[in-house]
Amino acid sequence: MTRWAAGLVFLAVAVALALMVVSPQVGGQQDTPAAPAAGSGPTAAAKAPAAVVAAPAAGVTAPAATSYAQRFATLCAACHGVNGRMETPLTPVLAGQPSLYVITQLFLFREGRRSNEAMTAVAKTLTDDDLRGFSELIGALPPVPAPPPATPPDPIRMARGQALAEQYKCVFCHGAGLGGGQQVPCIGGQHEEYLQVSLRGFRSGSRPGYTQAMTAALSQIPPEDLDTLAYYAARFRGPAEALTGK
Amino acid sequence: MKSVSSLVVLATLCCIGLPALAQQAPPPAAEPGWAKGRPKTDTAMQMAPIPVFPIPTAPDKLPTSKFKLPPGFKVETWASGVLDARGLREGAKGNVFVSSLFVANKVYVIPEQGNHQAKVIIDKMPMATGIELHNGSLYVATNTKIMRYDNVEDRLDNLGEPKVLYDKLPGGNDHSWKYLRIHDNKLYFAIGAPCNICDPGPYAKIYRMNLDGTNIETIASGVRNTVGFDFDPKTGDLWFTDNGRDWFSEELPNDELNHVTKPGQEHFGFPFCHQGSIPDPEFGWGKSCDEYVKPAALLGPHAASLGLTFYRGKMFPAKYQGAMFIARHGPWNRTKKYADISVAWPDGKGGARIESFMTGFVENNSYLGRPVDFLVLKDGSLLVSDDHAGAIYRISYGQ
Repeated sequence: MTRWAAGLVFLAVAVALALMVVSPQVGGQQDTPAAPAAGSGPTAAAKAPAAVVAAPAAGVTAPAATSYAQRFATLCAACHGVNGRMETPLTPVLAGQPSLYVITQLFLFREGRRSNEAMTAVAKTLTDDDLRGFSELIGALPPVPAPPPATPPDPIRMARGQALAEQYKCVFCHGAGLGGGQQVPCIGGQHEEYLQVSLRGFRSGSRPGYTQAMTAALSQIPPEDLDTLAYYAARFRGPAEALTGK
Repeated sequence: MKSVSSLVVLATLCCIGLPALAQQAPPPAAEPGWAKGRPKTDTAMQMAPIPVFPIPTAPDKLPTSKFKLPPGFKVETWASGVLDARGLREGAKGNVFVSSLFVANKVYVIPEQGNHQAKVIIDKMPMATGIELHNGSLYVATNTKIMRYDNVEDRLDNLGEPKVLYDKLPGGNDHSWKYLRIHDNKLYFAIGAPCNICDPGPYAKIYRMNLDGTNIETIASGVRNTVGFDFDPKTGDLWFTDNGRDWFSEELPNDELNHVTKPGQEHFGFPFCHQGSIPDPEFGWGKSCDEYVKPAALLGPHAASLGLTFYRGKMFPAKYQGAMFIARHGPWNRTKKYADISVAWPDGKGGARIESFMTGFVENNSYLGRPVDFLVLKDGSLLVSDDHAGAIYRISYGQ
């Protein structure tokens, strides 16, 4: 078979587990496994940056490992938080995102395909080596749990969201733990508003993906279901025991 | 059924609101075409196509030095930094044209003379994958239309607007991208099956049309997805690679190398019969593989056999002159990865003999590079595109 369809590609690999299983597919890329699925909380893997960028390209411009941590602190942290999570509704949580997903998004910003004024401005200044360096660094940020909600999640809406995530096969690619993997983002614990805007954008075509996977997957889903999914994923705290047997 | 059963489980867990939920539930989202027929095992569920990495491999990290070829051949990096390099064609004035697929959305030109820096001549055109050069014009096919840019080698700084020859291609994602050849003033292209396995209707065929887009004719049916074909310079016959269905098993079916002997009258089996010998478990009922044209050769399970080019040069030893070079891009839905450049020789009896020619694309079961298409340069050397690494290699023989 051909390497298909990015088109339909619901990419890869469900479950964050797959990160450990699937070897990096990418020429020359040092694909650092992302941290485990959302909800598992920070662990010992934490102090990562130095270890993470262990294999910068030997190329001319590859800066030392630590400099991406410094550049992250000056360039990214003001909006995204020093640990990759800021409670700003439309600023996505970076902590816990797989490095391959991160580099595809930086690429889309740099190419002007995914539009966001602030991100495009930043991405336009980045070289290929920078894209690698930042994505490897961000891919190694340990997940940061969401703060306790002001009001407890509505159990009916959560149950409905869980059913929709099964029905629409979100878990095929994002995993039962909603942790993503490879080019699939972690959506468990992501900000609800960001998820909502993203889902609606994929459906309408205003938010391009690296592949057509999300647009294809969402084209038939009513917007109110997308909002329920956003509500559910944002409040998701680890795989539910309830449906593990499907 | 599956969603129904999960709803039932859910209902037992939280009885509130179930009737409403059951009534409202819209039909489950359709599986993507590539996932049709995928077994529900954990291993299979973790396999999916992986798009090209968004950054070409740095020149000093390319696998060029790891490639292995027969004695007397050598390979060098001809161009690097060509994101998503797919199709290769050359104009009469020495310009090499390079297409792309899902990631770059570009067509590049690389002058044969000079430092081989790729220059973007078409940008922001998704699936600008099918290209062909003919009488000074560049033909470009996306998944929806076929266009022609005239006098292209004199207008590389600004191609201008193309003439649209045909805009009724079905589009979509699965197997919708194109591979083009022009032969005897006819433009050949295929419309691949819109799925892994399904009743393809008018899809899954090789067609040809006049160069102005008129008079579309069917050349071959039952062709799941061919993205590599060429005409034997000796006989004029069309040979094509075809990508076998997925998810049947790790080791079956094989991709096919096929030979068209009666244009328009032959059916090559899809979706009823695979590799000439295996009836499809679903669509094969009531059919016999004897009803379909057998492949000339088998190309390996899930090999993703892409570009096919007859070697028309003089540089390579006589053995290779008139042989077909075939790019085996390598499987995504098979546990053990492999990729190579193979060579096939028509055996004169309708079949073909195959030999592996260049290996070294896979290391530790990961791809370092993946070959896509070929171009025989005027000096007889052979260019090979690699979309995975974003590079083009040049294979030469002797001094």
